Amino acid sequence: MLRALATARRAAALAAVVLTAAALPAQQFPTKPPAPLPVTAAQMPPFQSVTLANGLRVLVVPNAKLPVLSMTLAFQAGSVHDPAGKEGLAEMVAGLLSKGAGSREADAVAAAIEGVGGTFAATSGTDFMTATVSVLSENAALGFELLADAVVRPKFADKEIELNRTQALSALRLARSQPAQIASEAFARELYGQHPYGRHASQESVKGLTRADVVGYHARMLRPGGALLVLAGDITLAKARTVATAAFAGWTGTAPAAPAPVAMPERTATEIVLVHRPGSVQSNVIVGNRTWLPADPRNFGAVLANHVLGGGSDSRLFMTLREKKGWTYGAYSSLTRQRQGGYFSATAEVRTEVTDSSVAELLSQVRRLRTEPITAAEFDAAKGALVGRFPLQVETAAQVASQVASSRLHGLAADYVQTYRQKMSAVTPAAAQDAAKAAMRPDAALIVVVGDGTKLYDKLAAIAPVRLVNTDGAAMKPADLAAKSAALDLALDRLAPRTDSFTVFVQGNPFGFQRSRLERAGNGWKSIEDTQLGPIVQQHTEVSFDASATMQSILQTGKVQGIDTRIEVSYAGGRAKGSAATPQPPGGVKTIPVDADMPAGALDDNAIQPLLSAFRWAAGAKFSFTVFQSGKGTAIPATLTVTGDESVTVPAGTFAAWKVDLTGGEQTTSFWVEKAAPYRVVKIAVAGAPIEVRLAK
Amino acid sequence: MMFPTFRRLVVAGALWSSAAAAQSSRIAVDRTVLPNGLTLQLVEDHSTQVVSVSLWYDVGSRDEVPGKTGFAHLFEHMMFQGSAHIAKAEHGQLVERAGGSLNANTQYDITRYYNVVPSNRVNLALWLEAERMRSLAVTDENLKNQVAAVKEERRLRVDNAPYGKAIWEAPLAMFDAKSCFAYAHSMIGSMDDLAASSVADVKAFFDRYYAPNNAVLTVVGDIKPAEVKRLVGEYFGGIARQPAPPKVTCEQRFSTGAQRTTVKDDKATLPAVILMYRVPATSHADTPALDLLGTILGSGEASRLNKVLAREAKLALGTQILLNPFGPRRGPGQFFAFAIANQGVTPDSLEKRLAAEIDAVVRSGVTPEELTRAKNQFRASKVNERQQTFAMGEAIQNATFFLGSPDAVNTDLDRYGKITVDDIKRVAATYLIPANSLVVTVLPEAK
Repeated sequence: MLRALATARRAAALAAVVLTAAALPAQQFPTKPPAPLPVTAAQMPPFQSVTLANGLRVLVVPNAKLPVLSMTLAFQAGSVHDPAGKEGLAEMVAGLLSKGAGSREADAVAAAIEGVGGTFAATSGTDFMTATVSVLSENAALGFELLADAVVRPKFADKEIELNRTQALSALRLARSQPAQIASEAFARELYGQHPYGRHASQESVKGLTRADVVGYHARMLRPGGALLVLAGDITLAKARTVATAAFAGWTGTAPAAPAPVAMPERTATEIVLVHRPGSVQSNVIVGNRTWLPADPRNFGAVLANHVLGGGSDSRLFMTLREKKGWTYGAYSSLTRQRQGGYFSATAEVRTEVTDSSVAELLSQVRRLRTEPITAAEFDAAKGALVGRFPLQVETAAQVASQVASSRLHGLAADYVQTYRQKMSAVTPAAAQDAAKAAMRPDAALIVVVGDGTKLYDKLAAIAPVRLVNTDGAAMKPADLAAKSAALDLALDRLAPRTDSFTVFVQGNPFGFQRSRLERAGNGWKSIEDTQLGPIVQQHTEVSFDASATMQSILQTGKVQGIDTRIEVSYAGGRAKGSAATPQPPGGVKTIPVDADMPAGALDDNAIQPLLSAFRWAAGAKFSFTVFQSGKGTAIPATLTVTGDESVTVPAGTFAAWKVDLTGGEQTTSFWVEKAAPYRVVKIAVAGAPIEVRLAK
Repeated sequence: MMFPTFRRLVVAGALWSSAAAAQSSRIAVDRTVLPNGLTLQLVEDHSTQVVSVSLWYDVGSRDEVPGKTGFAHLFEHMMFQGSAHIAKAEHGQLVERAGGSLNANTQYDITRYYNVVPSNRVNLALWLEAERMRSLAVTDENLKNQVAAVKEERRLRVDNAPYGKAIWEAPLAMFDAKSCFAYAHSMIGSMDDLAASSVADVKAFFDRYYAPNNAVLTVVGDIKPAEVKRLVGEYFGGIARQPAPPKVTCEQRFSTGAQRTTVKDDKATLPAVILMYRVPATSHADTPALDLLGTILGSGEASRLNKVLAREAKLALGTQILLNPFGPRRGPGQFFAFAIANQGVTPDSLEKRLAAEIDAVVRSGVTPEELTRAKNQFRASKVNERQQTFAMGEAIQNATFFLGSPDAVNTDLDRYGKITVDDIKRVAATYLIPANSLVVTVLPEAK
């Protein structure tokens, strides 16, 4: 009985809601997507701020809806404050802040934050350094403690400094092998000249950093005066003041003002800076110019116009250079904000043959944006994406803190974050075009091209005056392009049929094997290599070359994380032809046709190891040559340099060996080659990776 | 000491705890049912200008019958192939041009579609979902395309991925195909069944399951409820109700005797062991304890399996705990303890050590510190989930389908908070025992 009653009551309740819904008028289904509804004002509360006695500005974005708290402590301290010759210092300081402070070593810091389900990170950019902790607000005390320890009492342990340096040097080596990185460094250098924005970290500057530099930078720059602590989430201003005062008590001082502005080069005509990268089969192009200070009101219009030009995958640059012409996988443009002056840039990576056409097209698209009205469809799509996407970027306390900190540090309007959408919505097509005219200057542009100067110089000179430099930025004369690198002089009589077995160690544990066999094939040679790395990589490689080490073919089959890979390339008549199917992060396989110039004397990347015994090693010896990366279908310059004379113990025994560094690829690889016959490779190590290959028998 | 000690801060921390407890917000769900049976759940929350439009259909692999497997997953593909007023792939393009994002996912019990958009484009997301519910293009061409796409997906995930067969197919043996076909067949389906499917079959499946009365539309975020109700009425109101789909049952059976199987895997290069245990439905009171135990055993650097098997004994390259890897369940679920052997380690010695770690929990339980740490991680993840409109919408859908009421999102923390070390030991002793297990050994096999 009771049960029946309960059911009846539930049925009645259901009937009520059904009736409500039924009362809605039946309407015709619209056959077109509905137009946007009006944009509502942001609900973000007004920010509250207080400046502590020590000068630390605390900005609170209260939101008690959830018990979360994100704290971002930001300093006017970025790479712009690196002393000349100490480039990379700010980045190292930031990297060390979370690696031990107060009473905790690095692992204790990690355990403490992991144990409460929080996160902690510190980073440095051009103008600013930020340390961010996100925790449940009940763990605010721990969060404040970790943050205060990190910025006030960092340990800067020698062990952590060396680890950080090793990682930084690996990253730099990787960057030097990437033409996109070489291009952006050259672009900054040419755009900003002697201004710190024009400098970048180098192997030398990072190697030269000392603990005293780190401690000194920290003591000088990470001061409360001028710093900004943004607290977003479950906290009130009163509580923020009390806790921050306690956490940061005893911390005093003000960081020095930004370095006196250094004049930046003024450009009145378009100029091309050609960075000669011998053997490069692709070119990286950047077209751009300096713009304005961060708070410039024209920024909204310029961002919108930029989206039409190259902000997305249905923008003009992408649709033209990729979809219509097929010159590149992607072409984009952007506006970068910097405290002392930002810049506009449009970039593309294109084949050597179409480099000049691509430069002309990039310039022409920028000109078109300035002269032709933007179509209504393009304007609406760009505005829709920009206005629409913003709220999705300020959902969490951590996202809010980061956006607010960034806008304040750039000196933007106090209500910048709250009013962004309204301001972007209010941009008119005319305002966007006016802003584009001011922000993009195709007739006073800097164009950086990284590529093979021998093939590009004359063609680019037809577009604008060309200045030639090498990849280190040193001036070159066009005549230098004619000079050829000496052909490799190999002692090929040292090659002999042989099989070597290696064990692959990862972090000191055996993780796989490599077996290398060199056998006669007619008058020439065939090198066969099998590699297995844990469950991750299985690979079989066969490279053939003739008696004078001229490449003939490469066949490589394998599985990387279960995905089949295959590279098959033939070398003949100065061309490399075939195909390469290689895994792509985060998954899947990309198959590319290989059809490229094969420079005379170039080695397939898989032929280097079998040929190492034929180099005439000696203390300080250095061999420059061209490597054809058959998996990418591109030729790159490479160098083998003897950097040591060492006694090496591996499972197969102890050997006197030359340490030889191979540079030019993505990572530096070191080989240890026996000093005496049979000149075997006895050990291989990859810089920055915990992998070693040691001769087993 | 030059600098202040922590003592003052600890006091501040104590103040905080009470404030946080008082501030855990309750989510109020406004639930209505349209005359055509569509359930509409609204949560009005103006903290951000974002809206999540999530449409879950009450259909999954569970609803498939012998000879027609793989349909639920096939449909997830079909739903992006266009409809009366929308071309193939246009749904995604329109959402992205609005600044939003979208995706879909098939599970054993449900199929979900979601769109996250700025609040002034909630109408677009609703219209797009209504458009495909009312006029999906079920054509022979689309069907053939998508059957081919599913075959490719099977190749990628099952046939060509190391340990793919062990994860996707071996566990099916834990369930009896007679008493529980729902969970005893593969989600991706039989390729023969898919190849034999006709447009008429697919159309019938669509009409039966992709009906308004078989779906829950949950809209969360910066909305005006009256406006959303009006739009939902306008867009979805004219879609006809269909007869209710048949109910599916699965008998839950535990401790039916130890099972063991070996999978030869030509994609794997190292042996692996997976201890698989039957656990109860997601709604069962033991689920929170099993979930927390999974964290203690398998989550993070400091977890037991990582410490013991990977770092100390160096037997495992990696370890992982998976509780219901194919999504929550209204029927019996699965708890996997997975370890990949290091080079030179036999599967036998790995299995012994892995089983010993599980047995240690059965015999001695876990420490209060371990439990606290796991609860902290759970609580932080739940709170962070609520910071994002999308995650909040999906949590409400989960609660609706698997915990009996959308309101269960408000009791997650209580359910987990009250778990004791005794509960952990008890659930381990109940479910994580050999008689209730399937041991899967993966042996690499040269091709």
